[in-house]
Amino acid sequence: MSLNQVWEAASATPFQPIVAKDSQFTIGFSLLVIAVITTGLFGLNRSLASIFTLGIPASLALGFGAVFTICAAGVYV
Amino acid sequence: MRFFTAAVLGLFVPSLAAASSITSQQAVPADFKPPQVFKNTNLVRNTNLEKSYVRETINVVVENVDKSPQSDYYVPFPTDVFDRVGGFEARDKKATDKGRFEVAVTEPVPSNGIQYFIVHLDEPLAPKAQLTLGISYSVLASLTPRPATIQQNDKQYLTYSFSAYVPSAYQTVTQKTKLKFPSTDVPDFTETDGLKSGADPERKGATYTYGPYETAKVAPGTEKPITVRYQFTNPVITVNLLERDLEVSHWGGNLATEERYWLRNNGSELENQFSRVDWTFSSYQKAPTSAVREITYPLLPGSSDAYFIDDIGNVSTSRYRPGNGKTAANLELKPRYPIFGGWNYSFKVGWNNDLSRFLRKATSGDSYVLKVPFIQGPKMNEGVQYERFVLRIVLPEGAHNVRYETLEGANSNGLPGKSQIHSSLSSFKTYMDTLGRTTLTLEVDSLTDEARDAQLIVTYDHSLMDALRKPLTLFGGLISVLVAVWFVGSIDTSIKKR
Repeated sequence: MSLNQVWEAASATPFQPIVAKDSQFTIGFSLLVIAVITTGLFGLNRSLASIFTLGIPASLALGFGAVFTICAAGVYV
Repeated sequence: MRFFTAAVLGLFVPSLAAASSITSQQAVPADFKPPQVFKNTNLVRNTNLEKSYVRETINVVVENVDKSPQSDYYVPFPTDVFDRVGGFEARDKKATDKGRFEVAVTEPVPSNGIQYFIVHLDEPLAPKAQLTLGISYSVLASLTPRPATIQQNDKQYLTYSFSAYVPSAYQTVTQKTKLKFPSTDVPDFTETDGLKSGADPERKGATYTYGPYETAKVAPGTEKPITVRYQFTNPVITVNLLERDLEVSHWGGNLATEERYWLRNNGSELENQFSRVDWTFSSYQKAPTSAVREITYPLLPGSSDAYFIDDIGNVSTSRYRPGNGKTAANLELKPRYPIFGGWNYSFKVGWNNDLSRFLRKATSGDSYVLKVPFIQGPKMNEGVQYERFVLRIVLPEGAHNVRYETLEGANSNGLPGKSQIHSSLSSFKTYMDTLGRTTLTLEVDSLTDEARDAQLIVTYDHSLMDALRKPLTLFGGLISVLVAVWFVGSIDTSIKKR
C-alpha cells in the first residue's frame, strides 16, 4: 500500500487537536491559575492528604496549562 | 508508485544515526563505454530558454539492436554539467501514467570525464523492438550574461552554448533541436554550415530549429558547438541554499513553516555605481530590469502569522494578503535593496497553518499521515533555481517508524528520482523537549521552481504516551517539588529530649 493510498484511506479522519487554536490561551491560562491557587492552598496545609487532594491536581493543571499557554504564545510544541 | 522507507526508529538516539540512507554512484572501469545495444531512430530535443535556467526535454525513439533484451539506457553528461542537472527523469512517452523509470548514476569515467544517468526500463526491451523515451531535466547555471557588465537601465543578454548533435551514448539516425527563446530579440546565433541543406537554424518567431540532421554515420559523442545570445532583461535568481523547516505540533494543532534563503542574482553586473534616482524612475515606470525588484510568494489558503526577516531584522516593505480562507494567500516581499547582478541577499520567511488540513489519523493503530508541499518558494515568471535544498520535517517528540514518499503524477513533478534525494533521521531538541523531536531531513542538489507543486507524504507512529510526555514531565517536576516540601516540612527539627 503506497503512502498516498494511506492518505486517501484516512480522508474521514482529519487530525483534530484537543484544544482549538482560539481557545488555547483561555484554557491554558485558566489551568495555570488553578495550578497557582492549588499550589498555594497546598502551601497552607502541607500534609500527605493534601498531596493527593491538592498537589496532584495542581501538577496536572501546570502540566497541561503550560503546554497550552506556550502554544497560545506562538511556540507550538 | 515509488515507495521506500526512510527508516524505522525507536526512541533511542543511536538508532537514529544508523537510519540515514546514503545514495551511491556506480563505479565504472577507467575506459568505460556503454554497450552499443540501442539505436536512437529519431530524436527531438526541446530546449526552453524562457526561464533563468535551461529546461530540456528529449523525446527519442529507441530501438534495441542487440540480440538479447536490454533494459539499461545510458544518458551521458560531462562531469561539470552533471552536477548541475536537476530533476532528471525518464518516462515511456506512450504510458506516462506508469510513472518514471528508476534512474541510477555512475561515477565519472576517468578517461573522458563523462558521467552517466542509467535509465532502468521497467521491462527489458526485446530485440528490434522500439520504445519512445521522454527524458526531461533542467541544467542550472548554464547561462552566461554577455556583456558581463551593463548600465543600470540596459537590456540584459544571456548566452547559451550547446552541441547541435545531441550528446548521446548511442548512434542516432535523425535528430533536431528546437530552441524556445523568451522573445524574438536574438542578436547572435551560430549558423551551421554543411550539416544540412537549406538554412540552419530555421527561425519562426521566438522558436529556432537546428536540424533535422541525418547522423546515422556520425560517431556517438561528436560535438558541433552552437552558441546563441538572446535578450533576457530579468533577474537570474539563484538560491545557493534554501533551508525549509516544517514543524508539526499535535498539541498546538499547527504546522509551522520557515524558509531561509541565501539568494544571488547571477545576471550582468552593474558597470557603474548604483543610482538611486535612476532606480526610482525605472520603478515608477515599471520598466523591465535585470534586478530583483519584488518577490511574490503564494501561500496556501488559511496561512497566517507571516513574517519576513533578514540579517538586520524585520523588513517592513512586505505586504501579506491573507486570502479569504479558500483562495491562496499572497506574500509580497520587497527586499531591503534591489538585487542587481552579482549581488546577494539572505532572508527568512515563515508562517503558520492549521494542521488539520495536512494531517490525518491513519485507519490503523497510532499512525498519522502528513501531506505537505515539498517546496513552495517564490513564483516568478523568470523562474528560480535552487543549487541546494534542505527540507526538515520536525515531527512531534516520540514519533517513530517514519516513512516518506514523493507524489508522482502523469507529468514531471520537477523532482529528481529517489536516488538523488538524500534522507536522514535525527533528533532536534527545542522548547519543552526531553528526548528531542524526530526530524526527517531530505536534501536535494540542483532543483528548480518547477517542483513547486510537488507533494510529500510522511507517515509516522505516535502513541498516547508519546503525546503525554510533555505535560507528564511538567507534572512530575511539580509533584516532586510538592512531595519534597511536604517531606522536609514533616521532619521534626525541634530541640527536645528524645
